[in-house]
Amino acid sequence: MARFTVGSEVRARLGDPDGHTRVPRYVRGHCGEIVGLHGDWKLPDAAVRGTLVTEPVYAVRFRAADLWGHGGHDVIVELWESYLEEAAGER
Amino acid sequence: MSGDHGGHEHGHEHGGGDGGHHDANIAARVRELEAQLVAAGQITEAELEAILLEGWSGSPAHGAAIVARAWADPGFRDRLLADGNAAAGELGLEAEGYLLKAVANTADVHNLIVCTLCSCYPTNLLGPSPGWYKSFAYRARAVREPRAVLAEFGVELPDSTQITVWDSTAEARYLVVPARPAGSDGLPEASLAALVTRNGLIGTAVV
Amino acid sequence: MGGQTGFGALPQPGAEPPAGADWEAHVRALTYALMDRGVFGGDEFRDAIERIPPAEYLSLSYFERWFAALEILVREKGLLDGAGG
Repeated sequence: MARFTVGSEVRARLGDPDGHTRVPRYVRGHCGEIVGLHGDWKLPDAAVRGTLVTEPVYAVRFRAADLWGHGGHDVIVELWESYLEEAAGER
Repeated sequence: MSGDHGGHEHGHEHGGGDGGHHDANIAARVRELEAQLVAAGQITEAELEAILLEGWSGSPAHGAAIVARAWADPGFRDRLLADGNAAAGELGLEAEGYLLKAVANTADVHNLIVCTLCSCYPTNLLGPSPGWYKSFAYRARAVREPRAVLAEFGVELPDSTQITVWDSTAEARYLVVPARPAGSDGLPEASLAALVTRNGLIGTAVV
Repeated sequence: MGGQTGFGALPQPGAEPPAGADWEAHVRALTYALMDRGVFGGDEFRDAIERIPPAEYLSLSYFERWFAALEILVREKGLLDGAGG
Protein backbone atom coordinates (compact mmCIF):
# COMPACT_ATOMS: atom_id res chain seq x y z
CA MET A 1 0.00 0.00 0.00
CA ALA A 2 1.67 3.21 -1.14
CA ARG A 3 2.06 5.74 1.65
CA PHE A 4 1.96 8.84 -0.54
CA THR A 5 -0.30 9.98 -3.35
CA VAL A 6 0.11 12.30 -6.32
CA GLY A 7 0.16 15.83 -4.99
CA SER A 8 1.69 14.88 -1.63
CA GLU A 9 4.41 17.21 -0.44
CA VAL A 10 7.44 15.25 0.68
CA ARG A 11 11.00 15.83 1.80
CA ALA A 12 13.93 13.71 0.68
CA ARG A 13 15.60 12.48 3.84
CA LEU A 14 18.86 14.01 4.94
CA GLY A 15 21.62 11.65 5.82
CA ASP A 16 24.55 10.05 4.14
CA PRO A 17 24.17 6.30 4.39
CA ASP A 18 27.34 4.24 4.49
CA GLY A 19 26.21 1.90 1.81
CA HIS A 20 24.75 2.03 -1.66
CA THR A 21 21.71 4.23 -2.10
CA ARG A 22 19.90 5.92 -4.96
CA VAL A 23 19.09 9.27 -3.36
CA PRO A 24 21.10 11.88 -5.23
CA ARG A 25 22.91 14.20 -2.84
CA TYR A 26 21.47 17.29 -4.46
CA VAL A 27 17.90 16.53 -3.32
CA ARG A 28 18.62 15.39 0.23
CA GLY A 29 16.78 17.59 2.72
CA HIS A 30 14.77 19.30 -0.01
CA CYS A 31 10.99 19.35 -0.41
CA GLY A 32 9.17 18.35 -3.54
CA GLU A 33 5.79 17.30 -4.85
CA ILE A 34 4.84 13.79 -5.89
CA VAL A 35 3.81 13.84 -9.54
CA GLY A 36 3.63 10.11 -10.24
CA LEU A 37 3.64 6.62 -8.80
CA HIS A 38 6.10 4.39 -10.64
CA GLY A 39 5.28 1.00 -9.19
CA ASP A 40 6.97 -1.23 -6.63
CA TRP A 41 10.64 -2.03 -7.09
CA LYS A 42 13.44 -3.78 -5.23
CA LEU A 43 15.22 -1.35 -2.88
CA PRO A 44 18.90 -1.13 -3.90
CA ASP A 45 20.11 -0.23 -0.40
CA ALA A 46 18.85 -3.59 0.84
CA ALA A 47 19.76 -5.53 -2.29
CA VAL A 48 23.45 -4.88 -1.83
CA ARG A 49 23.16 -6.32 1.67
CA GLY A 50 21.54 -9.43 0.28
CA THR A 51 18.07 -8.56 1.55
CA LEU A 52 14.97 -8.32 -0.62
CA VAL A 53 12.85 -5.30 0.20
CA THR A 54 10.27 -3.98 -2.26
CA GLU A 55 8.87 -0.47 -1.98
CA PRO A 56 6.80 1.98 -4.02
CA VAL A 57 8.84 4.35 -6.14
CA TYR A 58 7.62 7.92 -6.64
CA ALA A 59 8.39 10.60 -9.22
CA VAL A 60 9.09 13.71 -7.14
CA ARG A 61 9.29 17.18 -8.67
CA PHE A 62 11.74 19.67 -7.19
CA ARG A 63 12.04 23.31 -8.21
CA ALA A 64 15.46 24.47 -9.36
CA ALA A 65 15.15 27.60 -7.22
CA ASP A 66 14.84 25.37 -4.13
CA LEU A 67 17.71 23.08 -5.13
CA TRP A 68 20.21 25.61 -6.44
CA GLY A 69 18.89 29.02 -5.41
CA HIS A 70 18.38 29.93 -9.07
CA GLY A 71 16.84 28.62 -12.25
CA GLY A 72 13.28 28.32 -13.50
CA HIS A 73 13.32 24.63 -14.37
CA ASP A 74 12.03 21.58 -12.51
CA VAL A 75 13.94 18.40 -11.77
CA ILE A 76 11.93 15.19 -11.43
CA VAL A 77 13.67 12.42 -9.53
CA GLU A 78 12.49 8.90 -8.79
CA LEU A 79 12.72 8.07 -5.11
CA TRP A 80 11.91 4.96 -3.13
CA GLU A 81 9.39 5.39 -0.33
CA SER A 82 11.93 4.98 2.49
CA TYR A 83 13.86 7.91 1.05
CA LEU A 84 10.90 10.21 1.75
CA GLU A 85 9.09 11.75 4.67
CA GLU A 86 6.00 13.97 4.84
CA ALA A 87 6.49 17.70 4.42
CA ALA A 88 3.02 19.21 4.23
CA GLY A 89 3.02 22.96 4.36
CA GLU A 90 6.77 23.33 4.50
CA ARG A 91 7.22 24.82 1.04
CA MET B 1 22.97 0.78 -15.42
CA SER B 2 21.21 -2.21 -14.10
CA GLY B 3 22.04 -5.83 -13.74
CA ASP B 4 18.68 -6.77 -15.19
CA HIS B 5 20.02 -6.87 -18.66
CA GLY B 6 17.56 -9.39 -19.99
CA GLY B 7 16.65 -6.85 -22.63
CA HIS B 8 20.08 -5.25 -22.51
CA GLU B 9 18.18 -2.16 -21.74
CA HIS B 10 20.71 -0.47 -19.56
CA GLY B 11 24.04 -0.84 -21.27
CA HIS B 12 25.98 2.32 -21.89
CA GLU B 13 28.50 1.96 -24.60
CA HIS B 14 31.29 3.76 -26.25
CA GLY B 15 33.25 4.79 -23.27
CA GLY B 16 33.67 8.59 -23.88
CA GLY B 17 36.46 8.97 -21.44
CA ASP B 18 36.40 11.40 -18.61
CA GLY B 19 39.71 11.94 -16.99
CA GLY B 20 42.88 12.12 -18.96
CA HIS B 21 44.26 8.90 -17.58
CA HIS B 22 43.87 5.92 -19.84
CA ASP B 23 45.67 2.75 -18.87
CA ALA B 24 47.74 1.72 -21.86
CA ASN B 25 47.68 -1.83 -20.54
CA ILE B 26 43.93 -2.02 -20.02
CA ALA B 27 43.36 -4.34 -22.97
CA ALA B 28 45.97 -6.77 -21.65
CA ARG B 29 44.54 -6.59 -18.14
CA VAL B 30 41.06 -7.34 -19.46
CA ARG B 31 42.34 -10.32 -21.43
CA GLU B 32 44.14 -11.60 -18.36
CA LEU B 33 41.11 -11.32 -16.09
CA GLU B 34 38.99 -13.02 -18.73
CA ALA B 35 41.44 -15.94 -18.95
CA GLN B 36 41.63 -16.24 -15.18
CA LEU B 37 37.85 -16.28 -14.75
CA VAL B 38 37.48 -18.93 -17.45
CA ALA B 39 40.26 -21.03 -15.93
CA ALA B 40 38.57 -20.75 -12.52
CA GLY B 41 35.31 -21.99 -14.03
CA GLN B 42 33.40 -18.82 -13.21
CA ILE B 43 32.37 -18.27 -16.84
CA THR B 44 32.94 -20.03 -20.15
CA GLU B 45 34.31 -18.78 -23.45
CA ALA B 46 31.02 -19.75 -25.04
CA GLU B 47 29.08 -17.52 -22.68
CA LEU B 48 31.35 -14.59 -23.50
CA GLU B 49 31.18 -15.24 -27.22
CA ALA B 50 27.40 -15.30 -27.16
CA ILE B 51 27.26 -11.88 -25.52
CA LEU B 52 29.94 -10.43 -27.80
CA LEU B 53 28.22 -11.70 -30.91
CA GLU B 54 24.82 -10.48 -29.81
CA GLY B 55 26.19 -6.97 -29.90
CA TRP B 56 23.55 -4.34 -30.00
CA SER B 57 19.93 -5.12 -30.71
CA GLY B 58 18.81 -1.66 -29.69
CA SER B 59 18.70 1.31 -32.03
CA PRO B 60 17.34 4.85 -32.05
CA ALA B 61 15.18 3.73 -34.98
CA HIS B 62 13.03 1.97 -32.37
CA GLY B 63 12.45 5.16 -30.41
CA ALA B 64 11.86 7.07 -33.64
CA ALA B 65 9.20 4.56 -34.71
CA ILE B 66 7.36 5.08 -31.43
CA VAL B 67 7.44 8.86 -31.81
CA ALA B 68 6.32 8.72 -35.44
CA ARG B 69 3.35 6.59 -34.47
CA ALA B 70 2.48 9.01 -31.67
CA TRP B 71 2.59 11.93 -34.09
CA ALA B 72 0.42 10.14 -36.64
CA ASP B 73 -2.09 8.58 -34.25
CA PRO B 74 -3.47 10.63 -31.32
CA GLY B 75 -4.99 7.53 -29.71
CA PHE B 76 -1.56 5.86 -29.69
CA ARG B 77 -0.03 9.01 -28.27
CA ASP B 78 -2.48 8.94 -25.37
CA ARG B 79 -1.76 5.26 -24.75
CA LEU B 80 1.99 5.88 -24.97
CA LEU B 81 1.91 8.64 -22.39
CA ALA B 82 -0.29 6.53 -20.08
CA ASP B 83 1.63 3.24 -20.39
CA GLY B 84 4.85 3.31 -22.36
CA ASN B 85 5.63 -0.38 -21.97
CA ALA B 86 2.28 -1.47 -23.43
CA ALA B 87 2.50 1.06 -26.25
CA ALA B 88 5.99 -0.10 -27.21
CA GLY B 89 4.60 -3.62 -27.24
CA GLU B 90 2.02 -2.55 -29.83
CA LEU B 91 4.92 -1.91 -32.20
CA GLY B 92 6.58 -5.18 -31.31
CA LEU B 93 9.27 -3.41 -29.27
CA GLU B 94 10.40 -4.97 -26.04
CA ALA B 95 10.49 -2.81 -22.95
CA GLU B 96 10.89 -5.35 -20.18
CA GLY B 97 12.23 -5.07 -16.67
CA TYR B 98 11.82 -1.34 -16.44
CA LEU B 99 9.11 1.28 -16.55
CA LEU B 100 9.09 3.04 -19.93
CA LYS B 101 7.94 6.60 -19.42
CA ALA B 102 7.36 8.76 -22.49
CA VAL B 103 7.41 12.49 -21.84
CA ALA B 104 6.05 14.87 -24.46
CA ASN B 105 7.50 18.20 -25.51
CA THR B 106 4.92 20.88 -26.22
CA ALA B 107 4.99 24.55 -27.11
CA ASP B 108 5.32 25.27 -23.39
CA VAL B 109 7.37 22.39 -22.01
CA HIS B 110 10.72 20.90 -23.00
CA ASN B 111 11.97 17.68 -21.43
CA LEU B 112 15.61 16.66 -20.88
CA ILE B 113 16.81 13.25 -19.67
CA VAL B 114 19.88 12.46 -17.57
CA CYS B 115 21.11 9.88 -15.08
CA THR B 116 23.26 11.75 -12.58
CA LEU B 117 24.14 8.68 -10.56
CA CYS B 118 25.57 6.47 -13.27
CA SER B 119 24.21 7.05 -16.85
CA CYS B 120 21.16 4.77 -17.05
CA TYR B 121 19.70 4.84 -20.55
CA PRO B 122 17.04 2.90 -22.53
CA THR B 123 19.47 1.19 -24.88
CA ASN B 124 17.01 -1.15 -26.53
CA LEU B 125 15.02 1.84 -27.77
CA LEU B 126 17.87 4.24 -28.37
CA GLY B 127 20.91 2.05 -29.03
CA PRO B 128 24.20 2.71 -27.25
CA SER B 129 24.38 5.87 -25.18
CA PRO B 130 26.60 8.66 -26.49
CA GLY B 131 29.84 9.57 -24.77
CA TRP B 132 28.55 13.00 -23.79
CA TYR B 133 25.58 11.43 -22.00
CA LYS B 134 27.97 9.43 -19.82
CA SER B 135 30.30 12.38 -19.19
CA PHE B 136 30.72 13.91 -15.76
CA ALA B 137 29.94 17.31 -17.30
CA TYR B 138 26.52 16.22 -18.52
CA ARG B 139 25.67 14.27 -15.38
CA ALA B 140 26.62 17.23 -13.21
CA ARG B 141 25.23 20.11 -15.25
CA ALA B 142 21.99 18.86 -16.82
CA VAL B 143 20.07 19.09 -13.55
CA ARG B 144 21.59 22.39 -12.52
CA GLU B 145 21.79 24.45 -15.73
CA PRO B 146 19.81 22.75 -18.48
CA ARG B 147 19.55 25.89 -20.65
CA ALA B 148 23.32 26.25 -20.76
CA VAL B 149 23.70 22.55 -21.57
CA LEU B 150 21.10 22.82 -24.33
CA ALA B 151 22.89 25.87 -25.73
CA GLU B 152 26.01 23.70 -26.16
CA PHE B 153 23.86 21.50 -28.37
CA GLY B 154 22.72 24.54 -30.30
CA VAL B 155 19.25 24.45 -28.75
CA GLU B 156 17.93 27.85 -27.70
CA LEU B 157 14.47 27.78 -26.19
CA PRO B 158 12.22 30.78 -25.56
CA ASP B 159 12.36 32.08 -21.99
CA SER B 160 8.69 31.16 -21.66
CA THR B 161 9.40 27.46 -22.27
CA GLN B 162 9.36 25.47 -19.05
CA ILE B 163 12.20 22.94 -18.86
CA THR B 164 11.73 19.69 -16.95
CA VAL B 165 14.81 17.56 -16.30
CA TRP B 166 14.19 13.89 -15.53
CA ASP B 167 16.90 12.15 -13.48
CA SER B 168 16.74 8.37 -13.98
CA THR B 169 17.48 7.35 -10.42
CA ALA B 170 15.29 4.26 -10.22
CA GLU B 171 13.74 1.86 -12.70
CA ALA B 172 12.00 4.25 -15.10
CA ARG B 173 13.69 4.93 -18.42
CA TYR B 174 12.55 8.00 -20.27
CA LEU B 175 11.80 8.65 -23.92
CA VAL B 176 11.23 12.21 -25.03
CA VAL B 177 8.46 12.67 -27.60
CA PRO B 178 9.65 15.77 -29.46
CA ALA B 179 7.13 18.33 -30.64
CA ARG B 180 6.12 17.48 -34.19
CA PRO B 181 7.93 19.82 -36.59
CA ALA B 182 5.99 22.31 -38.65
CA GLY B 183 5.48 21.29 -42.24
CA SER B 184 5.34 17.57 -41.48
CA ASP B 185 1.59 17.24 -41.99
CA GLY B 186 0.62 14.49 -44.37
CA LEU B 187 3.98 12.73 -44.27
CA PRO B 188 3.83 8.94 -44.07
CA GLU B 189 4.95 7.39 -40.80
CA ALA B 190 8.27 6.18 -42.16
CA SER B 191 9.13 9.72 -43.22
CA LEU B 192 8.09 11.04 -39.83
CA ALA B 193 10.37 8.52 -38.14
CA ALA B 194 13.28 9.72 -40.26
CA LEU B 195 12.85 13.19 -38.74
CA VAL B 196 13.34 11.93 -35.19
CA THR B 197 16.98 12.06 -34.10
CA ARG B 198 18.59 10.18 -31.22
CA ASN B 199 19.33 13.45 -29.47
CA GLY B 200 15.69 14.45 -29.94
CA LEU B 201 14.70 11.35 -27.97
CA ILE B 202 16.96 12.42 -25.08
CA GLY B 203 15.94 16.07 -25.20
CA THR B 204 19.18 17.62 -26.45
CA ALA B 205 17.73 18.42 -29.86
CA VAL B 206 14.60 19.92 -31.30
CA VAL B 207 13.58 18.00 -34.41
CA MET C 1 27.44 14.08 -9.08
CA GLY C 2 24.27 15.97 -10.03
CA GLY C 3 24.76 19.70 -9.55
CA GLN C 4 28.49 19.53 -8.96
CA THR C 5 30.26 22.46 -10.55
CA GLY C 6 33.60 22.67 -12.27
CA PHE C 7 33.21 20.07 -14.99
CA GLY C 8 33.26 22.47 -17.92
CA ALA C 9 32.01 21.89 -21.42
CA LEU C 10 30.53 18.67 -22.70
CA PRO C 11 32.81 16.41 -24.74
CA GLN C 12 32.36 16.91 -28.43
CA PRO C 13 30.64 14.16 -30.39
CA GLY C 14 32.96 12.34 -32.72
CA ALA C 15 35.70 12.40 -30.14
CA GLU C 16 35.27 8.70 -29.55
CA PRO C 17 35.56 5.85 -32.05
CA PRO C 18 32.06 4.92 -33.20
CA ALA C 19 32.40 1.24 -32.44
CA GLY C 20 34.23 1.65 -29.15
CA ALA C 21 37.34 -0.26 -28.25
CA ASP C 22 37.41 -4.04 -28.31
CA TRP C 23 38.47 -4.27 -24.68
CA GLU C 24 35.35 -2.30 -23.73
CA ALA C 25 33.14 -4.89 -25.42
CA HIS C 26 34.98 -7.57 -23.44
CA VAL C 27 34.52 -5.72 -20.14
CA ARG C 28 30.83 -5.45 -20.90
CA ALA C 29 30.61 -9.14 -21.84
CA LEU C 30 32.47 -10.22 -18.68
CA THR C 31 30.11 -8.16 -16.55
CA TYR C 32 26.96 -9.54 -18.14
CA ALA C 33 28.28 -13.12 -18.16
CA LEU C 34 28.94 -12.97 -14.42
CA MET C 35 25.53 -11.40 -13.79
CA ASP C 36 23.86 -14.10 -15.88
CA ARG C 37 25.58 -16.64 -13.65
CA GLY C 38 24.17 -14.86 -10.59
CA VAL C 39 27.63 -14.02 -9.24
CA PHE C 40 26.46 -10.49 -8.55
CA GLY C 41 23.50 -8.27 -9.39
CA GLY C 42 23.21 -4.81 -10.87
CA ASP C 43 22.90 -3.10 -7.49
CA GLU C 44 26.12 -4.76 -6.28
CA PHE C 45 27.86 -3.73 -9.47
CA ARG C 46 26.78 -0.09 -9.15
CA ASP C 47 27.82 -0.20 -5.50
CA ALA C 48 31.28 -1.47 -6.47
CA ILE C 49 31.66 1.37 -8.97
CA GLU C 50 30.67 3.83 -6.24
CA ARG C 51 33.33 2.36 -3.95
CA ILE C 52 36.15 3.14 -6.35
CA PRO C 53 38.25 5.73 -4.46
CA PRO C 54 37.08 9.23 -5.55
CA ALA C 55 40.35 10.38 -7.12
CA GLU C 56 40.54 7.18 -9.12
CA TYR C 57 36.85 7.36 -10.06
CA LEU C 58 37.31 10.80 -11.60
CA SER C 59 40.40 9.75 -13.52
CA LEU C 60 38.97 6.63 -15.14
CA SER C 61 36.92 6.42 -18.31
CA TYR C 62 33.48 4.85 -18.23
CA PHE C 63 34.53 1.28 -19.00
CA GLU C 64 37.69 1.58 -16.96
CA ARG C 65 35.29 2.13 -14.05
CA TRP C 66 33.40 -1.01 -14.99
CA PHE C 67 36.70 -2.92 -15.04
CA ALA C 68 37.73 -1.49 -11.67
CA ALA C 69 34.36 -2.60 -10.25
CA LEU C 70 34.90 -6.10 -11.67
CA GLU C 71 38.28 -6.29 -9.99
CA ILE C 72 36.72 -5.25 -6.67
CA LEU C 73 34.00 -7.89 -6.92
CA VAL C 74 36.37 -10.61 -8.12
CA ARG C 75 38.55 -9.95 -5.10
CA GLU C 76 35.73 -9.65 -2.54
CA LYS C 77 33.93 -12.74 -3.74
CA GLY C 78 37.09 -14.78 -4.04
CA LEU C 79 36.29 -15.71 -7.61
CA LEU C 80 39.88 -16.65 -8.36
CA ASP C 81 40.65 -18.28 -5.02
CA GLY C 82 41.74 -21.85 -5.25
CA ALA C 83 42.26 -21.51 -8.97
CA GLY C 84 46.01 -21.29 -8.57
CA GLY C 85 45.94 -17.94 -10.35
